[in-house]
Amino acid sequence: MSSPPLATPTAASPADTQPIALVDLLDRLLGTGVVIAGDVVISLAGVDLVELRLRALLRTVQEDS
Amino acid sequence: MAEQGRYLYAVCRGLTPAAVDGIVGLGGRRLDLVAEDDLVGLVSPVDLDEYGEEGLRRNLERLEWLEEAARGHDAVVQAAAAIAPTAPTRLATIFYDDDAVRQRLREQHDAIVAALDRVEDHEEWSVKVLTRTVDASPEPVAVLASGAEYLRAKRAEQEARLAGDRDAHVVAEQVHEALVAVVAASRRLPPQDPRLAGHEGTMVHNAAYLVHRERSEEFVALVQGQTEAHPDVVVDARGPWPPYSFAMLDDT
Repeated sequence: MSSPPLATPTAASPADTQPIALVDLLDRLLGTGVVIAGDVVISLAGVDLVELRLRALLRTVQEDS
Repeated sequence: MAEQGRYLYAVCRGLTPAAVDGIVGLGGRRLDLVAEDDLVGLVSPVDLDEYGEEGLRRNLERLEWLEEAARGHDAVVQAAAAIAPTAPTRLATIFYDDDAVRQRLREQHDAIVAALDRVEDHEEWSVKVLTRTVDASPEPVAVLASGAEYLRAKRAEQEARLAGDRDAHVVAEQVHEALVAVVAASRRLPPQDPRLAGHEGTMVHNAAYLVHRERSEEFVALVQGQTEAHPDVVVDARGPWPPYSFAMLDDT
């Protein structure tokens, strides 16, 4: 029975910064919960042009695992 | 050569060209500073074949491409945040040229300054609370005598899990209350999809905390205290990271 790793921070100096898990990074870089909800707005030249559905991404992840 | 766009990673204050010497942008391209008033945009050239509307639509659905872009974006943001107040942009914020970048910095000047004021000398920490997975029914289902017993056992198991999740929610609130005592701001994020995050158990808390650099150790000690106080859940803390959740530049 394995639990997720208990990643308690051991130090607070930048040198010890852990790499950010991709899912945590996408939570932040694409907007809150976007990967699960499936929507992201891309800004191109100051105008929000593209609304993308990321359900295909979720599919890819499932197939990989 | 494909038409070029300008990829904006972040907006900083007090960043000099010398400070970003050695940092490279996506695809190993040169990083440039675009200055407007007291703000500096960090940009690099990208091919619009890859990063234009058409290309993005295609590429954002390829996990490998997305990961590479997110990692490349993060590398620049991390490097900048280590030396200057930094407000990151969303992934794939692309302009046709530097004038368009400057115009955006002008239009959003006050909002950007407010974001930079908020995060200056602060870092982001992620704290999640997850239930511990319990071993599923200790008795093999096959030895249960009847269908009714089986259903009863299943129901009991389900109820135990629900009660466990409820308890974990209560614990998560206690953890959160303890942590907010030393943070400048906090933000709750939706629980992550286990298919993406790969965790077991139920994620009952997923939050970002903005912590002053000088209070990092205090925050870490608090997290450790909470971990010890609540052995029945998993407290997963990570950081420090750039203040993504507290300075994201967004049009909406």
